[in-house]
Amino acid sequence: MDKIKLRLTVNKEYLECYITPKKLLVEVLRDELGLTGTKRGCNTGSCHACTVLINGLSVKSCSVLAMQADGCEVTTVEGLADAAALSPLQKSFLDHGAYQCGFCTSGMLMAATSFLAENPRPNEQEIREGLHGNICRCTGYNSIIRAVKAVAEGKYKEAADE
Amino acid sequence: MIRDFNYHKVQTVEEALNLLDRYKDDYKIICGGQSLLILMRQGLVAPENLIDIKGLEELNYIEFDPKAGLKIGATTTHTAVEKSALVEEHYPILVSMEENLASVQTRNWGTIGGNLCHGDPTGDPGAVFIALNGSVKLATKERDRTLPVEEFFVDFFETELEEGEMLLEIQLPVIPPRTAVTYTKFNIIENDQGLVSVAASLTVDVNGHTCQEARIVIGSAAPVPMRAKEAEKLLIGQNVDDKLLQAVGEKAAEEADPVADIHASEEYRRDLVKTLTRRMVKKAWEQARAQAPKKE
Amino acid sequence: MSKKFHVINTPVHNVDGIAKVTGRAEYTFDLVLPHMLYGKILRSPYPHAKILNIDTSRAENLPGVRGVVTGKDTLGVKQGIWRRYKELCDEEILAREKVRYIGEPVAAVAAVDEDTAEEALDLIEVEYEPLPGVFVPLDAIKEGAPLLHENAERNINVTRHIEWGDVDEGFKQADLVREDWFRCSSQAHVCMETHCAVASYTPDGKLTVYTSTQSHYYIKVLLADVLGLRENDIRVISRYTGGGFGSKFELDSAQFCSSILSMKLCQPVKIVLTREEEFMATKRRTPMFYYLRTGVQKDGQFLAKEARVFTEGGAYTAMGATALYLTGFFQAFPYDWPNYRYDGYRVYTNTPPTSAMRGFGAPQATFCAETQIDLIAEELGIDRIDIRRKNAMYAGYEVPGQAWIQSCGLSECLDKVDEWIKTKGDLPANSGIGIAAYGFMSGGIFNWFDTPYAFSSAVIQVNVDGKVDLFVGSQDMGQGSNTTMAMICAEELGVNVGDIRLHMGDTDKCPVDLGAWGSRETLMQGNAVKMAAAEAKKQILEFAAAKMTPNIVYDLDIKDGWIHLIARPERGLAFNEVVKEVIRGRDGQPIVARGHYTPHRKGMISPAYSFGVQAIEVKVDPETGKITLKDCVTAHDCGQVINPLGVQGQLEGAIAMAAGYGFTEDLPMDEGKILNPNLVDYKLLRTTEMPETTVVEVETYEPEGPFGAKEAGEGLTNPTAGALGNAVHDAVGVSINELPITSEKVLEAIRDKDKPKTDEED
Repeated sequence: MDKIKLRLTVNKEYLECYITPKKLLVEVLRDELGLTGTKRGCNTGSCHACTVLINGLSVKSCSVLAMQADGCEVTTVEGLADAAALSPLQKSFLDHGAYQCGFCTSGMLMAATSFLAENPRPNEQEIREGLHGNICRCTGYNSIIRAVKAVAEGKYKEAADE
Repeated sequence: MIRDFNYHKVQTVEEALNLLDRYKDDYKIICGGQSLLILMRQGLVAPENLIDIKGLEELNYIEFDPKAGLKIGATTTHTAVEKSALVEEHYPILVSMEENLASVQTRNWGTIGGNLCHGDPTGDPGAVFIALNGSVKLATKERDRTLPVEEFFVDFFETELEEGEMLLEIQLPVIPPRTAVTYTKFNIIENDQGLVSVAASLTVDVNGHTCQEARIVIGSAAPVPMRAKEAEKLLIGQNVDDKLLQAVGEKAAEEADPVADIHASEEYRRDLVKTLTRRMVKKAWEQARAQAPKKE
Repeated sequence: MSKKFHVINTPVHNVDGIAKVTGRAEYTFDLVLPHMLYGKILRSPYPHAKILNIDTSRAENLPGVRGVVTGKDTLGVKQGIWRRYKELCDEEILAREKVRYIGEPVAAVAAVDEDTAEEALDLIEVEYEPLPGVFVPLDAIKEGAPLLHENAERNINVTRHIEWGDVDEGFKQADLVREDWFRCSSQAHVCMETHCAVASYTPDGKLTVYTSTQSHYYIKVLLADVLGLRENDIRVISRYTGGGFGSKFELDSAQFCSSILSMKLCQPVKIVLTREEEFMATKRRTPMFYYLRTGVQKDGQFLAKEARVFTEGGAYTAMGATALYLTGFFQAFPYDWPNYRYDGYRVYTNTPPTSAMRGFGAPQATFCAETQIDLIAEELGIDRIDIRRKNAMYAGYEVPGQAWIQSCGLSECLDKVDEWIKTKGDLPANSGIGIAAYGFMSGGIFNWFDTPYAFSSAVIQVNVDGKVDLFVGSQDMGQGSNTTMAMICAEELGVNVGDIRLHMGDTDKCPVDLGAWGSRETLMQGNAVKMAAAEAKKQILEFAAAKMTPNIVYDLDIKDGWIHLIARPERGLAFNEVVKEVIRGRDGQPIVARGHYTPHRKGMISPAYSFGVQAIEVKVDPETGKITLKDCVTAHDCGQVINPLGVQGQLEGAIAMAAGYGFTEDLPMDEGKILNPNLVDYKLLRTTEMPETTVVEVETYEPEGPFGAKEAGEGLTNPTAGALGNAVHDAVGVSINELPITSEKVLEAIRDKDKPKTDEED
């Protein structure tokens, strides 16, 4: 099967690669680009561990053909902050212990990042519904909800925002 | 694993229809792919040609006309429907349906058209569109046609779509005055597909004393989302009291044709049809009556 | 919350936190090595069959395939984790003559990519002769039932008997005797990272296996057993493990197939199980058929309990023998039963092997025990908290011939939960609260693995800049042992967590620890770490004393990197400075210290026990049977809390997992085939089903544990199913004896209860 050109901007970096059209976005990110922060946990689009952002929208990268993201901006967990910085959500996750084995964490952070961008002042029920797709087997979710809530309540406002 | 395929990304509807005509014996259309890709990964579907209409902006729209009603283009995402001000104002039942459908991520990329074309009798939009008396516009290269959504579903995962034909648009008539539409599905995990689902639309008379029209749609209890027509008949011209609700629920349960599987027995599904029908009809009745002007 | 510690019981960041929240943590799932091949495993489609022939030629000839292995390529060694008892080592790594469950590995392929390997599987031709199978214990033990293993008469794999007192006499004296039958279901671990391994064999005869595991030591030894290699020519590496819950400390098919392939090809081979394989062919919670006969006095005094259990063993022993023992032991927990008798039978069946899953037989035991206690309380008209309080274990209690309870906060836990329930007041209709009490082990004393090593060891090296290297054998699979060990070390040595450089997850570099299972790490690895830290501290303080020359009656201590007189803390020296001089003073030798722990003379089960009580509030829809979790409180005694964020996280995770066991998760089977091997049909709780949870720490001091600590991560899975069932009972008056408590079962029970009795029934 001939390879075709895929153009992506990943974490603000424009790049091109050649892929067979059956490649899923998650495969391109992990296998072609070496961005293994995004994980895969199932084959039925159920676990949402593979969540990334396409043009700011959270999607399951296992359920998107890479070619469908051609020309789009993709953000992965590696792109949440520059260099040694941490995003407010990442800091909040650290403070609240909102992860244990860590395998679902990337997907959870991406889903939460997109969620808060759309819903900056959610109540707890809305947070639960917003993150409903992402499975976590370790935490029982409540620490994650607390971490997201803390960011929503403005506890991690960057100095620049003030 | 996914088998290799010839990939065709189309920019216009015309381009798409031409390709469908050319490859009519071996193609699959992908849009959001939220259902299709899972089947392809399991090797259950392996087309020679994959026609990608995800980028078809031509079919990405939500339009409302006070006479004609709502038109949703096939490639409109669930999220777009969920967040649309037009939909919120005129068809709020669709907003709550979307909020309870799968996950945010699935809705962000998956499309309303793709959902219908998958032909899943447990799908929420199918049942709700039938309750809303919706239609679908289908087209081949040669011609287009419009059918009621009710006729679009043929069997488990099988729709009316012919070779070379694609879904263009969903049309929902204006909801008549003094009409309420309700929908619920039974699940243990929120937003899961329902073990059973029920959509009900009730129209009451001018004074709100009797039911004039009724549509009851059961999902997950037959190979297609089905109308419980005998149950509907019981409501026409009647004042809907608890006794009638009980009878309507029982009749709908009789009409349903659920299967047993690892999640529920046939009897339990029938029981759920009975209970959910009663609840949804009652809710629609109360909401519709609230729209009737109060007599002095 | 006590404030007597500098590091312990303070909210520190998890030491792996930055790696995990930035996507930098590299799991075996992510690993790519140069020249690496991808492997796939061919599995039996039959629950019971002879293998007549395997033809791999077509697969071998597929372009891109580099090698295919079958049982013939192995030494034919039967392995098992109960290594001490050869008859329980009954599982071949690749079946040679017979398959005994759907999913049993029969062959494996290595190819240039995953798709090619998968295609090659279809080209392997296996000729089977299907045999009749048995799928349920009570069928498997019948005369004439097909036998899975020649040496197991009537398919009985293991039996266990526990007894004290005189049960029959106890029943004679009882005012009330109840008999109840229960069925406890299976459950899948559903680790987010599936089983996977990258094995790399090199021509110098050394094998390196990167894998997702709970015990790199066990995997190393078991691989040595089956591959005929010297134990320490094998290196097992597991820096990050994406969940375990009991599924990852036995040798698994990803590990041994990738190893055999790599040994044949001398190239790295990576095998990652699909989610479907994970459901179908990895080990799972042990289903149990339970009979309880219980005698009590009318004032609620417990007198006698008799338990008889058949467990569905599946095709091989695995860790099922331990689950059989522990369920019988914890059936008597957490109460004083003067007379007790347990008989357990583990029966082979042609289903995937059942083994260890968080709780290890105790959640099953607790579900049955606590459900029955509520029924007894109801019959006697006694308050459900009072009846438990009356019979609760206490510090100093001896489980006759089995265990000594040194620390026990159970009564206080009951009080706290009682208070919480009272604040709830009257509940709305169809709502109810149920409670359950539990006790659990902090690591086991048994050595069925037959290791000659201490159960846990640690090595510390203190460097010239005050940075402390801590080498542990424990495995962090998410439960937080890395952070716990760093905290224990920091506290004992008097430094901060940031001063600790932790080394773990590598059998070449780390001392032996048996692994993260049976909730043993905090107590056992923690004790080893504390001992090593104390020894290092002693070396440093000896020097500091010589330097500071305090009065002989004054003691020195170290806190926050400050070595000081306890009586006059302002007089002291910086840790770094002293360490530098210690090293200089000993001819440049760094400060090295060792610690180890093995329980001796600690009874039959565990050196220490955690306790707790959980209450769950539910709402039931009486027309559909649907259960909604509304609220939850858990008062628990884990001795001294080491990592408070960690404990809370473990509690909440345990509730989600154990509530799933209670009402949403199940592995229904048809003739040995699992019917829901995916995350669509296997129902896990999500954010929306998880209730608010309140944690109440009841602090005790456990002399056996480091700083008084006991386990916290596993015992907390015990009470939830029972509390949930009792809550449903409280809400709508029905008691379901079969897990999971589905909405259909609840509705049926409500209907049966409300059915008007006919004349015959009267």
